[in-house]
Amino acid sequence: MTSNLLDLPALLRLQNLQLQARIVAEGALAGLHKAAHHGSSVEFAEHKEYAPGDDLRHIDWRAYGRIDKYYVKRFEEQTELRGYLLVDVSGSMGYGRQDQITKLDYAKLLAASLAYLLLRQSDPAGLLLHSAEVKNYIPPRGGGAHLGDLCQALEATKAGGGTALADGLSFLSEVVRRRGVVVILSDLLPSPPDVSGLPGEVPIDYVSQYGALLRARLCGLRAQKHDVIVLQVLDADELELPFTGLTWFEDVEPGPSGLSRLFVDPADVRAAYQRELQGFLSEMRRGLREGDVEYHLVPTSRSPESVLLDLLRGPLRGKVRR
Amino acid sequence: MNFLAPVFAALTFLGILPVLIHLHGRRRAKVRPLPTLMILLASHRRVAQRTKLRQLLLLLLRVLVMVAIPLCLAKPFIETASDLPTQVSAAQSAVLLLDDSLSMNYQPESVGRLGGGGSLLGRAKKRAAQLVEALPPGAEAALVLGSRGTAAPVPELTGDRARLFSALSAVHPSYRATDLHGALKRAAQILQTVRRSQRRIYLFTDAAAHAIDATLTPPADTEVAVIDVTDAKPLPNRAIVEAHSDPAPSLGSRAVRITAEVANFSDLPVKELPVTLLVDGKPVAKGLVDLPPRGHAIKRFVHILQPPPGAEFTPAATGTTDPTSSPVATASGQTGLHHISVALQGDALAEDDERHLRVEVQRHLRVLVLDGDARTLRRDDEAFYLEMALRPGDRDDAPFAITTQPLDEGVAALGDFDAVFLCNAKASDIGRKGLDKALRQYVLDGGGLFITLGDNTEVDAFNTTLHELLPQALAVVKTTGPLRRAGQAAEAAVPGESESALTGPGEHLGRMDRRHPLLLPFSSGRASESLLEARFGRYMLLRPTPRSTGDSGGVILSYESGAPALIERQLGRGRVLLFTSTIDRDWNNLPIQPAFLPLLQQTVRYLSHAPLRDSEPATVIGQPRDIRLQTGDTRVEISLPSGKKRLFERLGGRQVLTFTDTIEPGFYRVAAAGDSGVLRPRPAEFFVVNVEPSEADLQPPPPSRLAALQRPLSDSGAGTEGSGAPKRQVELWHYLGALLLGLLLGEALLLRQK
Repeated sequence: MTSNLLDLPALLRLQNLQLQARIVAEGALAGLHKAAHHGSSVEFAEHKEYAPGDDLRHIDWRAYGRIDKYYVKRFEEQTELRGYLLVDVSGSMGYGRQDQITKLDYAKLLAASLAYLLLRQSDPAGLLLHSAEVKNYIPPRGGGAHLGDLCQALEATKAGGGTALADGLSFLSEVVRRRGVVVILSDLLPSPPDVSGLPGEVPIDYVSQYGALLRARLCGLRAQKHDVIVLQVLDADELELPFTGLTWFEDVEPGPSGLSRLFVDPADVRAAYQRELQGFLSEMRRGLREGDVEYHLVPTSRSPESVLLDLLRGPLRGKVRR
Repeated sequence: MNFLAPVFAALTFLGILPVLIHLHGRRRAKVRPLPTLMILLASHRRVAQRTKLRQLLLLLLRVLVMVAIPLCLAKPFIETASDLPTQVSAAQSAVLLLDDSLSMNYQPESVGRLGGGGSLLGRAKKRAAQLVEALPPGAEAALVLGSRGTAAPVPELTGDRARLFSALSAVHPSYRATDLHGALKRAAQILQTVRRSQRRIYLFTDAAAHAIDATLTPPADTEVAVIDVTDAKPLPNRAIVEAHSDPAPSLGSRAVRITAEVANFSDLPVKELPVTLLVDGKPVAKGLVDLPPRGHAIKRFVHILQPPPGAEFTPAATGTTDPTSSPVATASGQTGLHHISVALQGDALAEDDERHLRVEVQRHLRVLVLDGDARTLRRDDEAFYLEMALRPGDRDDAPFAITTQPLDEGVAALGDFDAVFLCNAKASDIGRKGLDKALRQYVLDGGGLFITLGDNTEVDAFNTTLHELLPQALAVVKTTGPLRRAGQAAEAAVPGESESALTGPGEHLGRMDRRHPLLLPFSSGRASESLLEARFGRYMLLRPTPRSTGDSGGVILSYESGAPALIERQLGRGRVLLFTSTIDRDWNNLPIQPAFLPLLQQTVRYLSHAPLRDSEPATVIGQPRDIRLQTGDTRVEISLPSGKKRLFERLGGRQVLTFTDTIEPGFYRVAAAGDSGVLRPRPAEFFVVNVEPSEADLQPPPPSRLAALQRPLSDSGAGTEGSGAPKRQVELWHYLGALLLGLLLGEALLLRQK
C-alpha cells in the first residue's frame, strides 16, 4: 500500500510543510479505494428493509419492482466537516532518535496533512497548539489560503515546556460550539509530578493516574458529540528502550524541582519497562474505546501516509472525499 | 600464609578495580533524555531491590576474581607443624627404616595428626612418603624394613622417587618381631658406600622399648632420626604372652590342662576380661580374668579332648618274645592331634590376642616293673606305690599300661615296653636270668631303665652285675632317720649301722636341677614344695669316681647332704636313671607325697622318649621349622593358616626340609607325597606358629635411650637448618584455582539472569 509513497527521510528533506502535507495527503488518497458514489449533497449509503415509521419517500420502488419487497434507501448526509487539530507541543514531543524525526515534526506533518484533506474539500479546519498552556489557537476556517496559515503556525512552533494536555482538551471543549472532528496528536506522556524529583518519591501509579485523567477529558469531548481521534505519537526508543550500558536517564520536561534523573543499566530494567509501558498503552486503548474515542498508536518510524490511510478507511471514512 | 611468587601477591590490590570501574562508569555514564522517564521510574522501583542485590553480588564476584587471579599466580602456601625432622631439607643420603613389625599393626583409637586412623604402619608409610617428598633434589634414599628376616624393598640408594613411593605402598603389615639391630646394620651397609658426609637413617617406628633396647646404638658416622608414629601417646594393649598344655592324668589320659598367661600392658586395670579356649577352631570354654595395671594373670582350662574316630586303647600284649627288639619300632597306639588356641577379646592389637598350641593325645606307654621284693600283701609290695602312681584310680584310660613281674619269675620281652623299672632287685636274680645283658641291649636300643634300690641291694654284687648300666657305682647305705618296714610302723635302725646315723630326723632333698626336662612339673615353687618335703631315712651313697666314657649323665636330684638322689646316664640311644633310695616307703616317705605321681609319670615319659608336655614349644613367626622327611618323599605341601599353600618338590633324598615361610600365626598342616604322587597328611609334622610375645608391649623406652640413638653428628648441621619446630608446606593455589573457576561461573550465571 505504501509502495508508491515517498519515504519519510526524503519527505522531510522538503522544507515546506505545506508541500509535505500535500504529498502525504495525496499519497494517502491515491491509496484509498474509489468511493461508491459522489457528487451530491445527499449520498446513498445502503438499503434497509422497510419498517413502520420509515419515511415513505425513501422507498426504492425499483427494487420493489424487481424483488417484490420494500426497501428503504439510506443516505449519508454530506454536511460541512469542521476539523479541530490539537497538537501537543510540550517538551516531550521534541524527542527523536538522533538524526531522525522528532515526535513533534511527525505530529506537525500529520496535522498539516489532515488540514490539507479538510481544506481540500472546503471544510474548515482549526488548530490548537498546546503545551502547559495554549501556545496558539487558530479557529477553523475554509479556503485554500488557510492551509498556509496553519502550516505557518505549525512550522513556527517548537517543542518546550511542560505538559497540560488535559487543560488543552478543556479549552477545546469550551471553544468548539459546533460538532466536528477533533484530532489529538500527542505522546500522552505526563510531566514530572510536583515532588522533589527523586526517583523514589514519584508515586508508582503516577502515570496511570495521568492516563485516567486524560481518558476522562477525551471521553467528555466525545460526549459533546464530537468525533474524537487520538493519535499517540511515540518514538521507537520509547517503545523499546534499546540502550546499553550504564546510563543516566533524565526527563525532557523539567518538573517543579528540576529534571528527574535515574542511573540504571537499561538491560536491568528493559523487561520491566516494556511491561509497564505496554500496561499504560493497553489501559489507554481500552479506556478510550470504551468511551467511543478512536485511538491509534503511531510510532514515528511509521510512514505518515499509512497513518492517514488508516484514518481515511476508519474514522474519517465517508467524511473525506477523493 | 606465604607465597612462592610473592611479586604476584602484590597485585591483589587489583581487587579494587571493579569498584573503581563501577564508580568511574557511574560518573562517566551517558546522559540520555527520555520522555518516558516516569514509566521507567515506576518499572525500576518494581525491580530495584532485586537488581541492586544482583549488582552487588556481581561487584563482589568481580572483586574476588580480581583478587584470586594474582593470588593463584603467587602460589600461596601455609606452613603447618610437620612430623618430619628438620634435617630432611638438607642434601643427604638417607635410608628410610620402616618398622613393619607386629606391634606396628596397632590401631590407635584416636585419629592421628595426619588424619585417618589406620594402623601405626599406615601412619609410618604416610610419613615416610612425606619425607621422600620433602627430600631436596639430589638427595638419594633407600628403604629397609625393621622386622626380623625381611629383605630390603629398596636395597640401594636411589633418587628415583617413584620407585621409593611404589616400594612404600607395597609394604604390608607383618607378624614378625622387630629386629632393629639387623635393620640398622643393613642401613649402615647401604650408607657405607657413600662419600657424602650427610648420612642419615630415618627410623619410622612405634619406638617401643622392646624394639629400642639399651644395646641399640647408631652406626658410626651416621645420624639416626627416630620418627615416633605413636604421637607419644600411651598405647594400652592386652595379650596372651604364653600358653602351654600339660596332661591332667587325674581326669584321664585325654585330659589336658591348658595354661595361658595374660598380660595387661597398660596403666589401667582390666576387669573380667573374657578368655576363650578353642579346640580345632571351635570355642569350648570361656573364662574371665582380672588384670592389674601392667600385670599378668594366669588362666587355666581343663579340657578332655575327644579321641579320633576308632581310637580305642588296646593294652600291649605281654609275652616273652625277643627282649632285645626296639621299643621305638614296635610302639603302637592311637594318637589324636588337636589345634588348641586361647583367645582374648580383640583390642587395638588383635594379632597378639590369640596363642596356638599343638596338642597330641599321647599313646599309652607300656611299663615293665621288675619287682625284686614281691609280696602277697599288695600294700607291702615293692611296686605298689609305683603302680598307683602310674595308674591312679586304676582307670582303664590311664596313660600307662603296667606289667609287673616278680623278678624270680620269667622275664617278658623287654622290647615290648617303653620303660623298665628294676625295683629292689637282687644282683643274683639279675645275673641268673641274664637280665643284665638284656637290659643293656634294651637301653642301647633306646629303652629306658629306672633302677631303684632297697634292702635287697647288695652293693658289691650289684656293682659287678650292673656295672655297664649304673650311672655311678654304689658305695654304702646311709641311714639318716627312722625307717618303715613292711608291716611295721617304723624301725630304729638296721643292724650294722652307726649309732650317730640313727639320731637324725632323716634328710630332705636339697638340690634340684630345675632345667632338667624330667623336673618340668616342678618348675613352679608350689609344685616343688611337696617334693622337697619328702623325708629320706636311708639312701645309698655312690662312689665319687666320675665316669669318663662320655656317656655319663648328671645328678638330677640331690639330698641335703649333697649326695645324689637321682642320677642319669645316657647309654647308647637309651637312658638309665638310678634312684638311690626305695620306690616304696621302706627308706623314705616320697611315695606318699603329692609330688610322687607327677615325678613318676614324667620319669616314664622321659625314659620312653615321649613328649614331656602335651604341647611342644611353638615356632615363632619367622623362625625356620624343620620338617622331617621320610624315605621316598618326593613332594611336600605345607598349608598356611590362611589357606595359602607352599609346595616343595625335587626333595632329592633329603631328610629334613627347612621351612622358612612361617609368616602367619596359627596351625600349619603338612602333607607329603611319595612315589605315588598322592599327597597325604602327615600329622606328626603339623606345627603351630605364634607371634613373638614381646611385641605386645608398646611401652616406650626411657628418653635417654632414644636420645642416645638419635645422637646428632657433629657436622650434620641439624642445628642450623631449622632452629624452630619443623614445618610442612601446604600449597593452596589448587584450592584458589577451583575458587576462581567457581567465581567465574557464578558471574556468568548472574549475567545470564539479566
